Amino acid sequence: MRFLRSFWMRLRGSISPQKSDDFSAELESHIAHHVDDGMRAGLSADEARRRALIRLGGTEQTRQAHRDRSTLPWLEVLVLDFRTCLRSMRKHPTVAVVAILSIALGVGANATIFSMVSRFVLQAPPVGEPSTLLAVGIAGKGEPCCNSFSVPLYDGFRAQSKSFSAVAAYFDLFAASISGNGAPQRVWGQGVTTNFFDVTEMPMVLGRGFIASESRAPVVVLSESLWRSRFQADPHIVSNTVQLSGRTFTIVGITPSAFHGVDQILDAQFWIPLNTMVSMIPDAPPPSDRNSHWLNVVARLRPGITLDQASAEMEPLSADLANIFPDSDKGFLFSLRKAGSLPPRESGVVKIFLAALMAVVLLVLAIAAANVANLLFAQALSRQREMAVRLALGATRTSLRRIVLLESLLLSLAGGMLGVALSLAATRGLAAFHFPAPVPIDVSLAVGGRVLLYSFVASVVCGMLLGAGPAWAASHPRLARALKGEDALASPGRRFSLRGVLVVTQVAMAVILLSMTGLFLRSLQSSSMIDIGFRSNGVTMLSVDPRLNGYSAQRTVDFLQQLRNRAQVLPGVDEAAITDVPLLSGGNRTDGFTVAGKGDPPVPTDLYMATPGYFRSLGIPLVNGHDFGNEATNGSKVAIVNRDFAEKMFPNTNPIGQHVKGPNGIFEIIGVVGDTKSRTLGEEPRPILFRPLNQTLTYENSFMGYTLIVHTKGSTAALTEPLRRLVYSLDPAVAVFNQETMNAHIRSAYFLPRLAATLFGTMGFIGLVLALVGLYGVMNYSVSRRTHEIGIRMALGAQSHSVRRMILRQGLRLVAIAIVLGWPAAWFLAKLSSSFLYGIEPHDALTFAAVPVLLITIALIACWIPAQRAASVDPMETLRAE
Amino acid sequence: MGEKTDVWQGTLALMVLRTLELMGPQHGYGLARRIEQTSGELLAVNYGTLYPALLKLEQEGYIRSRWGVSDNNRKAKFYELTKAGAKQVRKAAAEWEQTTAILARFLSPQGES
Repeated sequence: MRFLRSFWMRLRGSISPQKSDDFSAELESHIAHHVDDGMRAGLSADEARRRALIRLGGTEQTRQAHRDRSTLPWLEVLVLDFRTCLRSMRKHPTVAVVAILSIALGVGANATIFSMVSRFVLQAPPVGEPSTLLAVGIAGKGEPCCNSFSVPLYDGFRAQSKSFSAVAAYFDLFAASISGNGAPQRVWGQGVTTNFFDVTEMPMVLGRGFIASESRAPVVVLSESLWRSRFQADPHIVSNTVQLSGRTFTIVGITPSAFHGVDQILDAQFWIPLNTMVSMIPDAPPPSDRNSHWLNVVARLRPGITLDQASAEMEPLSADLANIFPDSDKGFLFSLRKAGSLPPRESGVVKIFLAALMAVVLLVLAIAAANVANLLFAQALSRQREMAVRLALGATRTSLRRIVLLESLLLSLAGGMLGVALSLAATRGLAAFHFPAPVPIDVSLAVGGRVLLYSFVASVVCGMLLGAGPAWAASHPRLARALKGEDALASPGRRFSLRGVLVVTQVAMAVILLSMTGLFLRSLQSSSMIDIGFRSNGVTMLSVDPRLNGYSAQRTVDFLQQLRNRAQVLPGVDEAAITDVPLLSGGNRTDGFTVAGKGDPPVPTDLYMATPGYFRSLGIPLVNGHDFGNEATNGSKVAIVNRDFAEKMFPNTNPIGQHVKGPNGIFEIIGVVGDTKSRTLGEEPRPILFRPLNQTLTYENSFMGYTLIVHTKGSTAALTEPLRRLVYSLDPAVAVFNQETMNAHIRSAYFLPRLAATLFGTMGFIGLVLALVGLYGVMNYSVSRRTHEIGIRMALGAQSHSVRRMILRQGLRLVAIAIVLGWPAAWFLAKLSSSFLYGIEPHDALTFAAVPVLLITIALIACWIPAQRAASVDPMETLRAE
Repeated sequence: MGEKTDVWQGTLALMVLRTLELMGPQHGYGLARRIEQTSGELLAVNYGTLYPALLKLEQEGYIRSRWGVSDNNRKAKFYELTKAGAKQVRKAAAEWEQTTAILARFLSPQGES
């Protein structure tokens, strides 16, 4: 307390000008009293005054000591140093600008990548008390987690576990058609147990969660974003009704916009009670089925119980409940993790990807910092004379160091702030990358408090580290030689200068970065040349799901056939067809097939539904047999397969007329089509089987809806509105979704190579620019220091072109050393990233040959100007200016 | 240099407060003379060191100052104890007595067996 009070008064003393007359008067009074005493003792006035001053210890010293106490001297020194820094920065604005920009690029890149880490690895879900909310999964011993629960298992877990105060369950994601306030819209939601919002302690924006009696009631909780976008944030929305897939629901609450579901990636927009949801899904398995795993479970730790204590209970609990586990899951264990964290099976890949990115951006920051260190170093060296004079006049080395450190700290902080601004733009740019998934996911990035703190710390650490070298250089000028004006640190015979080492390191890091960039660019290029096996130009699509409106199977078939027929006659349409999910959507249905009558292991096959005209509209060649035509809906099942399936199942035989057996029965093969991509761009050809739409709908429903595919020779944009209106003309209550051209759809399949190429490309480019600026700086400085020597050489007969060559050779030698150092490192790192590359070897010859050549060429350009300067030195001038 | 100064400044502060407690309001010179006398002329420090100490005590709120007229009919700045200062004297005095008592036991000729 006392300390604060005195600090505050001293601060005031520093800020407001001191009334020094007050203390002067006090001093005068003191001396006067002492003189009085002296004179009373018999001394003369002068003698008394002399003794008084001696006894005082000197007026100036006393004044200074008083002043030091009445202000904050260290603060004033700091402000002075600050002003000196600003002054010197204003004198050399280029240095300051380059330094700030370099740091900004480095910190900005780091902030952007860290916001990804923050979002996907560190962020807790926006529930109450996230640290005590756990997600429960089932996994085999030693296998990556997690599988879902069956209802009996959930009930057993809930009844018998002792570590939790409450347990709730939910079903991931299911679709509904919401209508009643505008055009019908397909939305995704979750079915939850009635205690879900209590267990998650969700802070509701309006209304409440569910109560125990509502387990079958038609009540719904909406997300804030749906509330805003569809209901204009109506404050009286609670207890209004809304239509979900044709049924009337009462709205009881709104969840905060940050909450999209506990998993944080799926973008759920509404929540209804679990049993209500079951009654809405056609063909839902009976809840008592031990073998249906469909529930995700969350549990709230009892107060005082830790995650480790709860985990210890899981093994005996699994044993107790072993008889409820399905037979296929014998030996499985319950496994606990923090709710909202990535499940171990998925998190591995994500963490590696993010770790690689973090390493890359730290590399970029290191290059940037080396640049700035170089610049400051050069500055420190050119100010040696000034520093030597200061030292001679009594400044301490500490104060000289302080000034340089303060300057580097200021530059780094300014760069850091600019970097945060850059990362705001970058995260917005990254949001434009649509992650290709058939279900809605939310991967939005935000620059939050954690990222800002990280950027601040990075800037400060940067500033301190890169200021250390120049600070040392500034505080130790070789006094005698510096006063003479010589370059004290360039002693003859010194082969390695610190600046040279810095530049070599920078260029080596640039080699590594550029090699990675080259690899990812080549990967992108090769992925764009992948033959997907079907046409993407001139094709547009839209999806509907009439089942959400309560259509029966037959009515759905009729609806879809009418849709196709009417689309076929639209002006400009060449061919129209219906399928369930378009190709390259990341996967759909898979079943195992065997040749009918044989006992071979089943071949996993991707399944798609199709109407006649499907293959024509997508330009998939029919290589054998014929297309679907007028197969009877309830007749014997037929199928068209792709070449890969035919070769795997019927090598060297004609597959037409053969029969294959799957879980849904026996199919006769009536046609073979060319291979196409099914799930992802990078996949090898895989077996695909196409089933006629009308036959399939008698026993199966597409979870993701149905897609109308239209091929036109004209403009696809012109068809957007007419196709929508076509759907509404058949039934205005049916929601249209995923309307896009095939090209746009394919583009999102290129997500990963595009993302990697963009990120690494940007980093590589930045790293290259920074390294070359550094190289230019060092060469420039070296030339400017050697003008004297060059003048002598030229006076002794050296030609300007040989001088130029000497400088260029010097620069290229640095680059050569850097390449020798960096190339093997790049080679090694390339091996680690092989899983991210499409269609090229990690040790791609073109990349690894091109990078050194590119670097040497650009280095030549960077060294040209200094070399030219050296060559144009006028020997008369330099020899005269001693 | 640092430690000795801190210890000295601490004891000087206590001496100032005690002197003000006993003598009432005093000006800087008077305090210096009085401290010198009380210490039996053993302390012969520069009078100038008193003023930063007085400033510190004033900033911490243990003493307050105002201009007045001295016995010599001169203007002088007088310092007097505040309530907090009075409390501080008692507290610091008790601490010092305890410290010296403990040290005395260690430094006594026999020492503890």
